[in-house]
Amino acid sequence: MIKVDRVNKRYKEDQYALVDCSLEIDRGEFVFVVGASGSGKSTLLRLLLREERPDSGQVWVAGKELASMPGWKVPFFRRNIGAIFQDFRLLPNKSVFDNVAFALEVIGKSKRHILTQVPQMLELVGLHDKQDRFPDELSGGEQQRVAIARAFINRPLILLADEPTGNLDPENSWSVMGLLERINRTGTTVLMATHDVGIVDSMRRRVIELDHGEIKRDQNRGVYGLGQQSS
Amino acid sequence: MAISLEYVVKETTGNLWRNRLMSLAAVLTISVSLALAGASLLLKQGVSTATSQWKGGVQLLIFMQPSATTAQTKAVSSQLNSLPEIKSYFYMDQAKSYVEFKQLMANSPDLVQSVTQSQIPPSFRVVLKNPNDAPSVGSLFQQQVGVKDVNFNRGAINTMLHVTSIVQLVIVALAVILLISASVLILNVIRVAIFSRRREVAVMKLVGATNWFIRIPFMLEGMVQGLVGALVAVVAVVGIQALFEYVVSHFQVAVLSNFLVSSHDVLMTELFVVAMGIIVGTAGSAFAVRRYLEV
Repeated sequence: MIKVDRVNKRYKEDQYALVDCSLEIDRGEFVFVVGASGSGKSTLLRLLLREERPDSGQVWVAGKELASMPGWKVPFFRRNIGAIFQDFRLLPNKSVFDNVAFALEVIGKSKRHILTQVPQMLELVGLHDKQDRFPDELSGGEQQRVAIARAFINRPLILLADEPTGNLDPENSWSVMGLLERINRTGTTVLMATHDVGIVDSMRRRVIELDHGEIKRDQNRGVYGLGQQSS
Repeated sequence: MAISLEYVVKETTGNLWRNRLMSLAAVLTISVSLALAGASLLLKQGVSTATSQWKGGVQLLIFMQPSATTAQTKAVSSQLNSLPEIKSYFYMDQAKSYVEFKQLMANSPDLVQSVTQSQIPPSFRVVLKNPNDAPSVGSLFQQQVGVKDVNFNRGAINTMLHVTSIVQLVIVALAVILLISASVLILNVIRVAIFSRRREVAVMKLVGATNWFIRIPFMLEGMVQGLVGALVAVVAVVGIQALFEYVVSHFQVAVLSNFLVSSHDVLMTELFVVAMGIIVGTAGSAFAVRRYLEV
């Protein structure tokens, strides 16, 4: 489902974001990417979304090679990928319903499709009774669930999550993690970058650790770290 | 992929309303510049019809009586051949003169209707070696049998052509400067629109909206501004033309007595104005989209 092959990426001379990075993730896996700030986690996610291109190497996502993908194909590729972020990225002037509907509207889906899909998705994330609220009237956890609804509405093959619990208290974090786990059980590959030691340690999923752009550790049923990750 | 009309209309009008003051500035600049450009085009066409008899450096017109005999006409042409002051001349027969008359009077169909070809005076169009000889050469023919009238006010025509070409140059230069500032204004309006919608744009990219889907509302916004400005200018051009015709007819501006702009010229000018408005608006927004909307 995801294959990163000998990828190098640097933003400035002598400052590598990713160094000779190779990894493979199968369909339906749930993977944590951990590491200190600046270790290359975000760069990895940006490469998988084709927001960046690698300087060398190949990135395969959902059967497509991204380094050589022409720009006009990128939007169609992104329709197969869901993404959520620490800052939710909701539109403040749109209601919960409209925020989720927006994702369908801008890829040209019909009104009828929107009217059947959005309520289903809001039901799934447990916010069907709040569909007319605005983002600033919701808790952080609820906002992130709206973002998940928006990311998942096209039934993507892959869900990328960049520190989705970074702004949430433990209780809300767990409700978001529960939701991601349910989405993973539908067969969606979930790749989540995180700093949250508690979540990684208790979920016992595959953990990939990045350190200064290099893969330091890749273990199944792993924990956050062996005590040395504090920065 | 179908871009829903409803979405595009909603986005475009929404953007325009959010930036209404800036949009107004852009629209007004476009209308002023295009009104100037349109008026200058009409001026040029009007002057060129008014002076069409004088085309090709003709300095002297000898009108024959419509009833002049072939012998009388022959006499004039042989005299023209013999005069050393004359560089060249040509003869406009009644058929050609009638065609010219219909062009000159295109806006007065009643007059054209009431005049037949046999009433039109044929004429000699004379080019002199020295334009200053026009009065002396002209007076030779004034009293000749079969000659109806001699016209040698080339000097006035020259002055008018000179003045109008300068006026036109100034107007066109002004119009170009204003059009450039109009497109810069539109560019800025669109830049602000893009900036105020950067969150939406980011989300659209994230969920896979195509580049054109993101761009089109912004491009249309610029195009609409150009179009609205052009429509205001269209009205202004009609007004300017009416004013000019009023001045010419009421104050008897002699050299401009034939000044006339046919409805065809007006139509073409208005089409030009509308096309320019759309081009300037779209170009300004296209540039802003290229420059400020990384998709």
